[in-house]
Amino acid sequence: MEYKFQFGVVRDNWQFLLEGIWITISVTGGALVVGLFVGLFLGMMRLSKFKTISQPALWYIELFRNTPALVQLMWVYYALPILTGLELNAVMSCTLALALNMSAYMAEIFRGGIQSIEKGQVEAARSLGLSFAQTMRKVVLPQAVRRMIPPFVNETVSLVKYSSLVSILGVADLTYQANVLSTTTFRPLEVFSFIALVYLVICTSLSYSAQRIEKRLSVSD
Amino acid sequence: MTAMVKIEKLNKSFGDLHVLRDIDIEVAPGEVVVMIGVSGSGKTTLLRCINVLEEPQSGRIFVDGEPMGIHRPDGEFRAFPDRVLNERRAQIGMVFQRFNLFPHMTAIQNVMLAPTMVKNLPDAEARGIGEKLLAKVGLRDKFDAYPNKLSGGQQQRVAIARSLAINPKLMLFDEATSALDPELIGEVLDTMKQLALEGMTMVVVTHEMGFAREVGDRVLFLHEGRVLEEGKPEQIFDNPQHERTQDFLRHVL
Repeated sequence: MEYKFQFGVVRDNWQFLLEGIWITISVTGGALVVGLFVGLFLGMMRLSKFKTISQPALWYIELFRNTPALVQLMWVYYALPILTGLELNAVMSCTLALALNMSAYMAEIFRGGIQSIEKGQVEAARSLGLSFAQTMRKVVLPQAVRRMIPPFVNETVSLVKYSSLVSILGVADLTYQANVLSTTTFRPLEVFSFIALVYLVICTSLSYSAQRIEKRLSVSD
Repeated sequence: MTAMVKIEKLNKSFGDLHVLRDIDIEVAPGEVVVMIGVSGSGKTTLLRCINVLEEPQSGRIFVDGEPMGIHRPDGEFRAFPDRVLNERRAQIGMVFQRFNLFPHMTAIQNVMLAPTMVKNLPDAEARGIGEKLLAKVGLRDKFDAYPNKLSGGQQQRVAIARSLAINPKLMLFDEATSALDPELIGEVLDTMKQLALEGMTMVVVTHEMGFAREVGDRVLFLHEGRVLEEGKPEQIFDNPQHERTQDFLRHVL
């Protein structure tokens, strides 16, 4: 092959790329935190014995799991302001859209984790006089969280990758910055190879740290 | 003297299945009442109604004179809101067939949970209670063992210690030895017997007829949701009146 790699283009523009990494991390992190709380709430709704509470949560989850993330991003960015008059900048609306998407998956993880705990555990706690909240906090969640960690990390890794979609809406994340850099320097091979590596490092270190946490928590299993 | 347990006209259905039919029972303080019968006869459901883990459709339940729910004039039973129910339940210990120990906690942590969370005792005091109770059930050297490191018999003894930690007036045993290997049943029965000798009021669902005869003050034979026959153990075991009781005893003895 004739091609001569010139990774100098990455070195000379590292600050520009670093800004992109920062945006990627903050969009992902923001979506993750919001998605976690909304997801916990939705997951609890799903577990309700009242259909009027569990059904809407199910509709929400189905809606966000069965439409493309890119369509959701565009809908929140372009359509939501028409509907609500809410003016959000690109970063905000992308974070919001990813959070809404994430919460649907989180809800199912919470629901599955909590449901996987044997009914006898709750009965034992309640028969001792523990309240529902105490039973959740001390008995159910500590066991459920352990089971939730692997699917939770899978979703977080997906989220990091999905976050590259925000570049389409002009959010200057890592993918967007790389695109700009490749068209101005005519070095797509180096630039895109480099950012692929960055995504790879972020995602594999997430999986790896999750494995370690899981191992540490599993003393009693 | 107030009955420790008093149940009147209790009815419970699961869908179309009528599990308990107009049950009336009374348990005196200090008494050990053993419920026997084939599976499906309603004995476990009846036991679980006492602390309202199972909510009956109608009837009245009193523990130590206090109602366990709202007894409506038309007979309907409504469980109390959680706040009241939690207080009532904290006076009743329950031991389950499958132990239901909390697997993420050590033996001592299992026993300490209710004293710290329900009785709001400081850790040191709860630990004292836990150590005393685990020693009492013969597990002095297992304080810090996780349940998965204990045999079935040891786990069930931890579970007994755990329910004693709330200092209950009444203990409910739901087939406490049915999930155990034969060689481990004895140690759990011995612990239960010791409790009975100390004067604990106990309602015991069991298939251990030897235990029922030796430790029980009174035996109830349940059949299709009714108390078909009741009496002193010798009376039930040596001279059962009802054909169903005779049938059942012929099969299990």
